[in-house]
Amino acid sequence: MSNEDSLPSRRTLSLRFNIAISKTKEFWAALREGKLITTKCTSCGKVTFPPQADCPNCMSSGHEWIDLGTDAVLVTFTNVQITPTSFVNHDPYIVGIGRLADGPNVLAWVEGATVEQLRPGDRLRLEARVSPEGNPYYVFVKN
Amino acid sequence: MRNVAIVGIGHSRFGKRSDVNVAELAFESIKQAIEDAKIDKKQIQNVTLGSAGGWYEESLPAVIINEYAGFENVGTMRVEAACASGSAAVRSAYLSVASGEADITLAIGVEKMTEVDTLTSVELMGRAGSYLWEFENYGMTFPAYYALYAVSHMNKFGTTEEDLARVAVKAHHYASLNPLAHFQKEITIEKALNSQVVAWPLKLYDACPISDGSAAVVLASEDVARKMTDTPIWIRGIGLSSDSANLSKRGEYLGLEATVQSSRRAYSLARTSPGDIDVATCHDCFTIAELMAYEDLGLCEKGQGAKLVREGQTEIGGKIAVNPDGGLKAKGHPIGATGVSMMVEISKQLRHEAGKRQAPIKNGIGLVHNVGGTGHYCYVTVLSRSL
Repeated sequence: MSNEDSLPSRRTLSLRFNIAISKTKEFWAALREGKLITTKCTSCGKVTFPPQADCPNCMSSGHEWIDLGTDAVLVTFTNVQITPTSFVNHDPYIVGIGRLADGPNVLAWVEGATVEQLRPGDRLRLEARVSPEGNPYYVFVKN
Repeated sequence: MRNVAIVGIGHSRFGKRSDVNVAELAFESIKQAIEDAKIDKKQIQNVTLGSAGGWYEESLPAVIINEYAGFENVGTMRVEAACASGSAAVRSAYLSVASGEADITLAIGVEKMTEVDTLTSVELMGRAGSYLWEFENYGMTFPAYYALYAVSHMNKFGTTEEDLARVAVKAHHYASLNPLAHFQKEITIEKALNSQVVAWPLKLYDACPISDGSAAVVLASEDVARKMTDTPIWIRGIGLSSDSANLSKRGEYLGLEATVQSSRRAYSLARTSPGDIDVATCHDCFTIAELMAYEDLGLCEKGQGAKLVREGQTEIGGKIAVNPDGGLKAKGHPIGATGVSMMVEISKQLRHEAGKRQAPIKNGIGLVHNVGGTGHYCYVTVLSRSL
């Protein structure tokens, strides 16, 4: 097909969203200090992860911050080989879902093992990290 | 609620359609559907467009398409239910007729996905979850979400990579019989197994392609439909459900609960059961998705999906023909077009107009299973040849 069949738009659009985190800033502040915490509803006791200020169970907005815990069991995982545009400079990464010993599931990168070495049921530890760019995040590490 | 029938169908060729813009692409299906219904376009009282959007330059595709096709002063909107946007559009058009608001409506599905580069497309799909918690730091992709299900299913039920490849081989075979499909060539199990890993254990041939395409259906109330055609295809029930945005909030990753819930609702509304269905389109964006769909729709017991494909029970002539059009996997998956495309295929099958890929029709009942995202949305529609 000849090039005249399409017109590459000369107007580019670059989107960067400013995501509001004021209601969960405690989580990000704690994460930066190496701690993992989450929300617990002070009305009905529902624990949520990801943290959220408003309870999805009873709709109360009263909440406290509790330790999330770090011991987890691997439920399922994958190795992302074809990465999206904004991760194009990353090596392939393993993403897993871990079930915390006394809490909810968490999705995060899994480190300390190759995909061949992982099995559902493996014991994991959730750890806080800070990226080279200074952004806090968390990963699972295989025990 | 009034009975509603599909009285006109249209379907573009799927694939990389750099020869048309989004309105021209939609027009191909709209024109066919109107001609098939043998109506004047002025008889259409409202137009609903299913399109996820974001892949192409237009922000308001519904009005762009309506203007191009010459619909003036019609009620219109675009609806979004990710990959189930097409079914959501049909449901909106259906409800308008069923409620008595309109006698004749049009539902269109369209997506023009190849105007952006492949990795940007991967990015747009990867963001289709809970953005901050799944994408921002962890770069999830659409194949990766389904790979989480594949690993769990394989670990629990012994489903193998070869079983997944069998689904791909079946899809490519039927696509080779469908002139409108993106892929026109058969593949072998070996070719599928040796293809590039995209998100382990899923490989290139486990995944649907990135496609452009459109489809359209004209719907009419019972009294109008009976005057228009001898072969109305009745919409007997639309069941819908949803699940958590964040995949970490799901249970065992063995199936899609939204499919279970929406199919039970659809069977109940249509007063039918899985055993009565002659032909189905299942949402096979990935091979694992088709096997889970067999189970979640009740075509077999949980964990038996792989057995069904090994035995050829979901081929034409088997227990139930699934995806005789090549499915998303090989026909292509232009996101918003898919649900409407499925309605078109099942209508063709129930009208005995599917040619070389015609499934035997005994009970005159077909099923459309359309998932949005990774089981985030699900729409299941039961269609029948008679009321």
